[in-house]
Amino acid sequence: MSAASVRAEAKRLLALSLEGGAVSSDRVGAVLAALTKSRPGHTLRPLLRAYLANVRRELTRGEARIEHAGPLASAEADAIAAHFTKLLGRPVRPVARRNDALLGGFRVRVGDDVTDLTASLRLANLAKSLS
Amino acid sequence: MTFLSALLAAEPAKAAAQGAAEAHGPVGDIIKLFGSFGVDGPHLLVQIVNFSILAFVLYRFAVKPALGQMEERNRLIEKGLADAQASTQRLAEAQQASEAKLNAAADEAAKILAEARNSAKAAVEAAKAEATAAQTEVIAKAKAAIEADRVKMMNEVRGEVSRLVVETAAKVLEQNLDDTMRGRLNEAAVKQLAR
Repeated sequence: MSAASVRAEAKRLLALSLEGGAVSSDRVGAVLAALTKSRPGHTLRPLLRAYLANVRRELTRGEARIEHAGPLASAEADAIAAHFTKLLGRPVRPVARRNDALLGGFRVRVGDDVTDLTASLRLANLAKSLS
Repeated sequence: MTFLSALLAAEPAKAAAQGAAEAHGPVGDIIKLFGSFGVDGPHLLVQIVNFSILAFVLYRFAVKPALGQMEERNRLIEKGLADAQASTQRLAEAQQASEAKLNAAADEAAKILAEARNSAKAAVEAAKAEATAAQTEVIAKAKAAIEADRVKMMNEVRGEVSRLVVETAAKVLEQNLDDTMRGRLNEAAVKQLAR
C-alpha cells in the first residue's frame, strides 16, 4: 500500500468518524473495530498512524485553545468559542489554560489561526514601535 | 768593346788605306782625316749597331720598367692625393653631418626635456587632483560612517531604553495586577473580540 493510498484511506476514515461536523468517539470506535476485523496486521499500522494524525488535527480544528491571564469565567470562554464557531462555520469548543505571563487578556488558537488580545502583546508592539 | 768591334778591329789600317785609295777629292780627304782619328766606316757601323742594341736593351729592360714604375708611382700618388682630397671632403661632410646631427639631437633633447617637464607638471597636477578627490571621498565616507554609527547607536539606545521600559512596565504590571483587574481585562478582551 503506497503512502498516497494510505493518506487517501485515512482521509476517508476520518470522514466516516465525523458526526455533525465534529469527531464522534462512537464513530471512531466503530471505525477502529471494522479496521481490525477487515485488515491484516502488517498493513494496519501505517493506516492507523495516518488516521490518528487526521483525528488529532480535526480535534485541534474543533478546539479553541484559550490562554488567559487571571480568572476567565466559563461564560466568557463559551462566548469566545461561540464567536469562533460562528466565524469558522463549524462547532468549536473551548479549552482554557491559565498563563499569568500574558499579564492580561487572552490568546486563542483554533487550528492554525491565532488571535492575540493580551497585554503582553501590546507591550511588545509598543517596544517594537519605540525601537 | 763588343764582339763585332773586336772582330773588325783586326784590320783597321788596311781598311782605312783601302778606303783612302778608293776615295779621291775632298771626300777622300775627310775620310782620311777621320781615319787618322781612328774613325772608319765599318767601325762606325758596328758601333752604331752596338749602340742601337745597347739602347734597345737599356730601353727594354731598364728605361721602360723604370718609366712604368714611375707612371705607376705617379698614378698611386695621384690616386693618394685624390683619395686624400676625397677623404678631406668626406671628413668635412661628415663634420657637417655630425654638426647637423648634434644640432638636431640638441633640439630633440630640448624638445624631449620640455615635454618631460610638461608631462611631469601634468602628472603632478593629476596626482594632486586625485589626492584631493580621494581625500574628499575619504572624508565623505568617514562622515557617512560616523553618521551611520550615530544613527545606529541612537537606534540601539532607543531600542534598549524601550525594551527596558517595557520590561519594567511588564514586571510592574505582573506584580501589581490582581485577579480582579485581570478579570476586567479579560472581560474587555471578550467585548473587543465580539466587536
